[in-house]
Amino acid sequence: MDISERLNVTSTQEEIEPFLEVTPALVQKRRSQGRIIFDRFIRNRVAIVGAVFLILLFLFCFAGPIVTTHNQPDQINVTDVSQTLAGPSWQFPLGTDDTGRDTMARAMAGGQVSLLIALTSMLVAIILGVSIGAFAGFYGGIVDTLLMRFTDVILSVPLYLLLFVLSASFTDGTPRSVILLISFFGWQYAARLVRGEFLSLREREYVLAARTIGARGFRTMFRHILPNAAGPIIVNATLLIGVNIILESVMSYFGFGIKPPNSSWGTMVSDGQSTFDVDALLLMVPALLIFFTVLSVNLVGDGLRDALDPYMTER
Amino acid sequence: MGRYIIRRLLQALLLLALLSVGMFLLIHALPGGPEQVIFNPRLSAAGRAAIRARFGLDQPLYVQYIRWLGNALTGNFGFSFVTNQPVSDLLVERFPATLQLFSLALVLALILAITIGVISAVRQGSLTDYTLTTLSYFGIAMPVFLLGLFAQDIFGVWLHWLPVSGSATLGYSFDPFNTFLDRLEHIILPMLVLAVGFVAGWSRYMRASMIEVTKQDYMRTARAKGVAPVPLLIRHALRNAVIPLITVVALEFGQVAGGATITEGVFAWPGMGLLFLDSLTNRDFPVLLAMLMITAVFVIAFNLIADLLYAVMDPRIRYS
Repeated sequence: MDISERLNVTSTQEEIEPFLEVTPALVQKRRSQGRIIFDRFIRNRVAIVGAVFLILLFLFCFAGPIVTTHNQPDQINVTDVSQTLAGPSWQFPLGTDDTGRDTMARAMAGGQVSLLIALTSMLVAIILGVSIGAFAGFYGGIVDTLLMRFTDVILSVPLYLLLFVLSASFTDGTPRSVILLISFFGWQYAARLVRGEFLSLREREYVLAARTIGARGFRTMFRHILPNAAGPIIVNATLLIGVNIILESVMSYFGFGIKPPNSSWGTMVSDGQSTFDVDALLLMVPALLIFFTVLSVNLVGDGLRDALDPYMTER
Repeated sequence: MGRYIIRRLLQALLLLALLSVGMFLLIHALPGGPEQVIFNPRLSAAGRAAIRARFGLDQPLYVQYIRWLGNALTGNFGFSFVTNQPVSDLLVERFPATLQLFSLALVLALILAITIGVISAVRQGSLTDYTLTTLSYFGIAMPVFLLGLFAQDIFGVWLHWLPVSGSATLGYSFDPFNTFLDRLEHIILPMLVLAVGFVAGWSRYMRASMIEVTKQDYMRTARAKGVAPVPLLIRHALRNAVIPLITVVALEFGQVAGGATITEGVFAWPGMGLLFLDSLTNRDFPVLLAMLMITAVFVIAFNLIADLLYAVMDPRIRYS
């Protein structure tokens, strides 16, 4: 008898199945990397709360005007002054402002602008930051030094000062100029991060292997190294959304960012501040929206960071 | 160590030089730049040429830069377009108020952050820790200007407990004690608002640092040798855990010249930040340029100080 008969093993195919039946608890179902990360994220209750709130917020701002009747933020709805600064009612759940416009519609419209600016500037900043950081980290040497000195120069001036000077002079109150300005300040941290990751990942064996079979610079950078550096980049991108929302609101509050006739949550806050003693809702609605949005984004970002961390053991 | 300092100083000087060129070009590139502001629109062409010659605006850019740099290094930043005062006088006049607000807020934030961080770390996982961590999350997400607005509205407008703006009540002259109380009333709200922004981030940092330190072997050794829990915490753990936080605080202090801009704007606190906001609205370029340069000098200087401080406090760090 040869060994396979003695061990009562019939064929290579059937080898695996009896083992599984006998010890199912020891064998885990194969999951893809993305699935593992997703499962870890789902288990983080706080992050899920943040994610749910963000989804609801996006639905509120972008689908709200289509689904409900609150889709005229600029329409004056009142016929006499006594109906301005009204409290909540069936027709206007969040009241009206000092010229009779529907606060809920304004919150939705302002939310569209604020969220759009935050997301777009995050994307631009990340694309810019990743490219610059990748080049600096991969090639090193003089390219690295030049790029990092340039980042240092910009980071040496306190952020808000430079932001205000540039916004007072170069923006014209439209979302597009604000997006360009905010992305200018967002790429530096991502560039530093990516540069660090690339500097360390550059020494891995798979990079050497790729180069051995003929991969050149770009291909190595974006096909081999970047997917492995993606974790911190994703976390940074998420947190950058929150930072951008705050930056845009601060600029609009002081009158340097979004200007009338465009409105965002920041401009709504500055409008509501003057009538606070009469109608607190005008200030509270945009302010609380800003606060809870940033809070949820931070919670999601932290949840992603925990889910993507390769050193955290399974809980 | 000495070589490291010299190298850092040279790097800082290079950075400052690059920065000054950048700022100068920026101010000249701004729409409504130096020329448009001082020109009377009804001036004739000859008059315009005369003013340009007088202010040196017809010289090539690099000549203008060198003249500006020479003046700046001696402290002469020109004259404000709005008030015609020397810019350096304006800055010196406003700086004490900002320094007062910022340093008090920093000190308060440091004390609070260390306390909260230590309590959170010692009672890790408990309800106290959970509450404090949640509060710090809230603090991080809350933008400074919103917190300032809420504080103003609740304590000033609703409750009428504290004044809403300024640093002192206008017009009245009190005896020293009441003057002190009056100023205290005015500084509390902006100081607290500024401090909360710092405490939120720092307390989490302190907590993480403290947890990491208490896991070290030397803590176990000290406890085994019989050190009581409280001195153990203070003399052994805290001293090591606080080092990175102090570095962060030193770095943050570099923002003193412009860091309280938003708070000063919300509370109309008469400091450098408010000067900046006003000159921005008035397109007062000499003041803007001078402020950008001064703040950059502070930031770069305190970056260097923070690094040196870290090396002094933690003898394990060796700089080549």
